Amino acid sequence: MKTTIVLVTTTLLLVGLLVSTTMNTQQRPREDQCFVCHDMLEDEATVAFRSDVHRSAGVSCADCHGGDRFEEDMDIAMSSAKGFIGIPRDIAISKACASCHDDEERMRNAGYTGPIGQLASLRHSAHAQGTHSGEELVLQCTSCHGAHGIRPVKDPRSPVSPLRVVSLCASCHSDPAFMRTYNPSLPTDQLAKYRTSVHGQRNLAGDPRVTTCVDCHTAHDIKPANETTSSVNAFRLPATCGKCHSDAEYMKPYDIRTDQVSEFTTSVHGIALLEKGDSGSPSCNDCHGNHGAMPPEVTSISHVCGTCHSLNAELFRKSRHKVEFERLGKPECETCHGYHAVQPATEELLSLETNTACGSCHGHERAPVGYRAANIMRGLLDSLQITVALADERLHAAEQKGMEVDDIRYALRGAKQARLQSRTAIHAFDLDVFREVMDPGLLTARNALRDAEAANSEFFFRRYGLAVATLIITLNVILLILYIRRLERKDRAVA
Amino acid sequence: MSNNHEHRRPLRPSTFASAVTDWFDERIGVRTLIDMARKKQVPIHRHSIWYYLGGVTLFLFIIQVITGILLLFYYRPGADTAFESIRFIMTKVQFGWLVRSIHTWAANLMILAAVMHMFSVFLTKAYRKPRELTWITGVLLLALALALGFSGYLLPWNELAYFATKVGTEITGAVPFVGKHMLELLRGGPQVNDATLSRFFGFHVALFPALFTVLLGIHLLLVQKQGMSTPLNIEKKKEVKSIPFFPNFLLRDLLLWLIVLNILAILAVFFPSELGEKADPFAPAPAGIVPEWYFLFMFQILKMLPPKILFVDGDVFGVLLFGLAGLFWLLIPFLDRSSQKGLQSRNFTYIGIAAIIVVLFFTILGWVS
Repeated sequence: MKTTIVLVTTTLLLVGLLVSTTMNTQQRPREDQCFVCHDMLEDEATVAFRSDVHRSAGVSCADCHGGDRFEEDMDIAMSSAKGFIGIPRDIAISKACASCHDDEERMRNAGYTGPIGQLASLRHSAHAQGTHSGEELVLQCTSCHGAHGIRPVKDPRSPVSPLRVVSLCASCHSDPAFMRTYNPSLPTDQLAKYRTSVHGQRNLAGDPRVTTCVDCHTAHDIKPANETTSSVNAFRLPATCGKCHSDAEYMKPYDIRTDQVSEFTTSVHGIALLEKGDSGSPSCNDCHGNHGAMPPEVTSISHVCGTCHSLNAELFRKSRHKVEFERLGKPECETCHGYHAVQPATEELLSLETNTACGSCHGHERAPVGYRAANIMRGLLDSLQITVALADERLHAAEQKGMEVDDIRYALRGAKQARLQSRTAIHAFDLDVFREVMDPGLLTARNALRDAEAANSEFFFRRYGLAVATLIITLNVILLILYIRRLERKDRAVA
Repeated sequence: MSNNHEHRRPLRPSTFASAVTDWFDERIGVRTLIDMARKKQVPIHRHSIWYYLGGVTLFLFIIQVITGILLLFYYRPGADTAFESIRFIMTKVQFGWLVRSIHTWAANLMILAAVMHMFSVFLTKAYRKPRELTWITGVLLLALALALGFSGYLLPWNELAYFATKVGTEITGAVPFVGKHMLELLRGGPQVNDATLSRFFGFHVALFPALFTVLLGIHLLLVQKQGMSTPLNIEKKKEVKSIPFFPNFLLRDLLLWLIVLNILAILAVFFPSELGEKADPFAPAPAGIVPEWYFLFMFQILKMLPPKILFVDGDVFGVLLFGLAGLFWLLIPFLDRSSQKGLQSRNFTYIGIAAIIVVLFFTILGWVS
């Protein structure tokens, strides 16, 4: 009997406990209790969170701050036992974001179509370099996107939207005192320059399609320009600019050409930069500027080219062509050399046929002085080129014969140097200046050719000399043999 | 003494040469020397051809001295000047290229002739009594010729010379106990540099030629004093033909010298010495650095030795081996007792043939590898 009572009592207790537990579960609220309470309090963060893209995607306060979103009891919900961490600091902020944004499946299920793995990109970016002691990143996700009122990038109210992101970046990058603490050598005038550019002016006028900081530098994977993996590195810049400027459809509303990059890649500069890897060759920004990108105007193009071709520019500025070009409204360098598709400057530029660099203005009757000067310059340049080529060929022939011609080859370098200098001297458009460089070069080349011919002749002289010497020695050998035979015959006869 | 020769009839009274001879004869008795040379006989047999190799070596040495002096007029030792002065000799000095090429080729041919001369003497047992000292001076002369070749190789101060000298002098460092000091003594410091070049220049143009000349004088004096050795098997014959040393043998010698001169001229013109690239101590050693051909067999043997042999480092073992072999070779006249007694010593013939095979085999192996 006792046993029956104990069994019944135990069963009832267990059933009661089970019912009680089930009832408790059924009574627990399914609403985000964090938001429910804080919304009533109308604190700033929660008010902002009302329109946050994350709230509509079902993200709770607890997803970032920890705690139990369904617990009504505030003390339990925000207890450390429930994993409540309060306000995340430093890298914990970005890690909280990355806990979802690194999970592609979860992000795609939530309807997100943007990039994944931003924190990893950020960790390899310039914003992870030169941080203050103890910091892993210079900035966290919230530094740009905000904390509680995060909106999609395309939402004009988002701080990272095209029309606002420039100011956002400038909030740090235009603050010299702040930037000095991280990178004292980095300029802080990017925004000011940007506002002078076509891009900046259109952006200010409300065009969200023009390029902003993130279009060139990328949003998260920002690298210093001197790193070859940077989207704004000289080697990669044509492709970066070409993303928009080579897209005919995208550029249609602006009514500008879209062949700049394709022309540049075939130019002497493009080939040097992109094919030969010559970092000294100009990229888009070297002529157009970086943040203040503008097409160089007629009056300024010689200054742009002159930053590298300084001697040419200096001679041109002093030349009579400077005045004439200004009078005719012709751009200085571009008139003869073109711009994006600049080709190697050969002697052909001095051609006097119609529609050529010189010939288009200097006709036999129209401008006889210039015509004559160009003719002489071309003739001298051709002479120098032919003499140098001939000397090279004769030196090669002498070397093939085993002759030592290092000295002559060294001297010939002077003529080659004169050829280069004479091309620069052309920009004075003055025959006397040109001949100052050309005449010594021609003399050096002719001397080198003469010495190279002499080296070839010396080879044959050696061969003929050897033949004569061998003949004399062989003759002596024969005479000696005959003499020895005679002597020994005589000796035998005596014996 | 001159009175004793007054009664003598001049060789050719009508010629200017005989008048000059008379003039010298009255003062230093030169006709005595001529008579001695006329009386001296050189045996003629099937091995006589080997007698000429010594003369060829002497002729090439004379050429070396003459061309060496000519090169000295323009050569400037020093890391900053040596290469440039050689280039100057090759390009600007009249026939400078020819003088340098002949100097290089004559050096190689001289060592080749000396080696062949040595082996011919060895195999005909010409070192036997009373010619032990002739053999010793001969071996020492060959060693000096090799030293002249080694020291001269660095003088153009080109890339190949620099690294070959570096490798060559490093081998000296393997000599037990004194190797490190010998290495520094040779190089004038721990590295091959300007000091090494000055030192090698001094060795090449002063020390070694002086020693060589003294030893050569003794060697030639002994040859003249003792005459040509006849091989044992020929010596036993009752009658051995002979010809007078002067003028018959000397004219034959002259004939061969002219032929060698012709070969030398052809080699110098068709295969002139190269200038190469100037030595750069900071540049990496180019691939395939090998010493001159006459050191190749030793270099190849050292290269093939295992790192350890009987608790001794391989290169130390190799250097000791070469040292002992050299000593053995030098003392051959005293070790070969049979030939001293006039007996055929076949064992030493086999040793000689084995030495030739070893040298040839490892030289060819070094060349092809």
